[in-house]
Amino acid sequence: MIPRRAQSLAALTGIVILAIAISPVAGDGSRVFLQLGNLTDILRQISLIGMIALAMTFVILTGGIDLSVGSILALATAVTAMVLTRVAPGMSYGPHILLAIAAAVAVAGITGVLNGAVVATLRIQPFIVTLASMIGVRGLAKWITRNENIDIGFGQDVAAQFATVFREKAIVIGAYACAAAMFWLMLARTVFGRHVRAIGDNEKAAQYAGLPIRRTKLWVYTISGLLSGVAGVLYAAENHQGNPNAGVAYELDAIAAVVIGGTPLSGGRGSISGTIVGSLIMGVLTNMLRLKNVDSNLEMMIKAVIIVLAVAVQRERESA
Amino acid sequence: MLAGAAVLFSTACGSGGGAAGGKKQFLVAFSQANNAEPYRAAQNATMQKLFAQYPDVNLVIADAQQDNSKQVAQVETFIRQKPDLLIVAPNERAALTAVMGQAMEAKIPVMCLERDILQPNYTTYIHSDNVAIGRLAGQFIVDRLAKKYGKPKGKVVAMRGLLGVEGEINRDKGAREVLQKYPEIQIVADPVADWIQAKAKDRMTEVLRAQPQIDVVYGHNDPMAIGAYLAAKELGRDKEMIFVGVDGLGGPAGGIKKVMDGILAATFVYPLCVDKAVEIGNRILHEKGFKPEKEYTIDSQIVTPQNAAQLYGQ
Repeated sequence: MIPRRAQSLAALTGIVILAIAISPVAGDGSRVFLQLGNLTDILRQISLIGMIALAMTFVILTGGIDLSVGSILALATAVTAMVLTRVAPGMSYGPHILLAIAAAVAVAGITGVLNGAVVATLRIQPFIVTLASMIGVRGLAKWITRNENIDIGFGQDVAAQFATVFREKAIVIGAYACAAAMFWLMLARTVFGRHVRAIGDNEKAAQYAGLPIRRTKLWVYTISGLLSGVAGVLYAAENHQGNPNAGVAYELDAIAAVVIGGTPLSGGRGSISGTIVGSLIMGVLTNMLRLKNVDSNLEMMIKAVIIVLAVAVQRERESA
Repeated sequence: MLAGAAVLFSTACGSGGGAAGGKKQFLVAFSQANNAEPYRAAQNATMQKLFAQYPDVNLVIADAQQDNSKQVAQVETFIRQKPDLLIVAPNERAALTAVMGQAMEAKIPVMCLERDILQPNYTTYIHSDNVAIGRLAGQFIVDRLAKKYGKPKGKVVAMRGLLGVEGEINRDKGAREVLQKYPEIQIVADPVADWIQAKAKDRMTEVLRAQPQIDVVYGHNDPMAIGAYLAAKELGRDKEMIFVGVDGLGGPAGGIKKVMDGILAATFVYPLCVDKAVEIGNRILHEKGFKPEKEYTIDSQIVTPQNAAQLYGQ
């Protein structure tokens, strides 16, 4: 019997084996899927949504949800690009880039604080609160950019330098790896992590036990906003633009990764390692199908089946 | 927070009804399919700029956010306001056909912009021709391959937009018509990137892994061609191939600038159609007895490094 924690890992292993089996063969006889470049492509492609999914795991563990992450990401891309291209603080490149990143992450964090404050104090359902901010923040991103993409360009100026550094695979994957390690430690080894789980498991009991419910909720939504902001900074670098329409439906991809990783939407139990595996499953699946030039409509249908299967397998083992 | 919302609301509404007394004021209502696309944002901006030259014209723009039922509702509301001219850039053909017919019945002059509808429920239809643009792009690709290899042969990647949309179907169709005449030109991959640059970059990365040699990337819009370029650049293969786009928008984020920067080998202007729309619109408003043609087709234009700087200036 495979322990529960390892079941999503087993699913990932199965998909990887399938991907190796059907991978096209390169000129030198090697499998394209297994090339180091391709494997790091997958990691880079899952990094942004993967990061958002880490924070989403915390939100879902408390029994909440955060639908506003894609809009926050868009706002952060816009702020990054605008500070880089339209603000001339008379600084050298390094501090200017830091200023842009700080501004974007701060704005994203403030949005998260607002989400958390409303959820924790007004006791409105998180779905509704973050649905509202998903709409409102998207509007804000479009408003400050006047619906236009803010171009970062390819020259020698500070904006282009920013993009050159922060679109590096090593930086993007490294940021994801660091975030993953931090979140794993936070959930498994800290008091805060225990509170997150306890609140989702049984909020009433947590309340009687005197756990800081409001403060914990405020923090998980703040963290979710911050991570969406970091993802937005990396998105701006990777695509050389601030884009108010970026990140549409990212919240759904992030939630899918969390759920495939074995965290139920009702919260209370689940793990960061599961979410990482969930993100990897989605990434490998996309890569495998695209390398084979599978029809994109078919791709969507295959993904749907995999999502349901991945979750169903875990439920079955659990009840057995 | 509420006070902030109230301020926003009142300023948003305040810009709507500024009819000065005296001379007759004309209301022009424009229902835009989706402000989020850069092409459509450029349409809006140009239309505002051009109509601003006429102080007796009050232009109102509504954004349907790529949603058919929202756009139908907006057009219905416009009909109640009895505008002197209704301009509709339909989100989809079937959904808008009936409501534009209602506007015609209400004796409102209706201008259909860029995308057509199922029945000619409009006074005039101003559009460009995506098949012709596809053919121009296809011919450009053939010429460049012939120059490279001495005869038309090579490997082409097509980056496709949202499947089922008129622009995607016809930009693809026109190019394939031309390319198919040359059996040695192969379309080795045609991934779907839904018009989006970030998606095109990911899809192109996979194509690059699977294809050792690529000569041309044809993006059905400029952002997708740029996304493909970013992917190739990252793998150090951007010099191996050329990138061709469609749209040719102005401004620092547009395709014309990307041709100037040497990222795109060429782009084909998909005309905004707005200059013509404002010209015809003004004649409808100001000239008694003016009858517009049922249809105006605006030609495309190729943008290459030779003429990009000059076009960018305009």
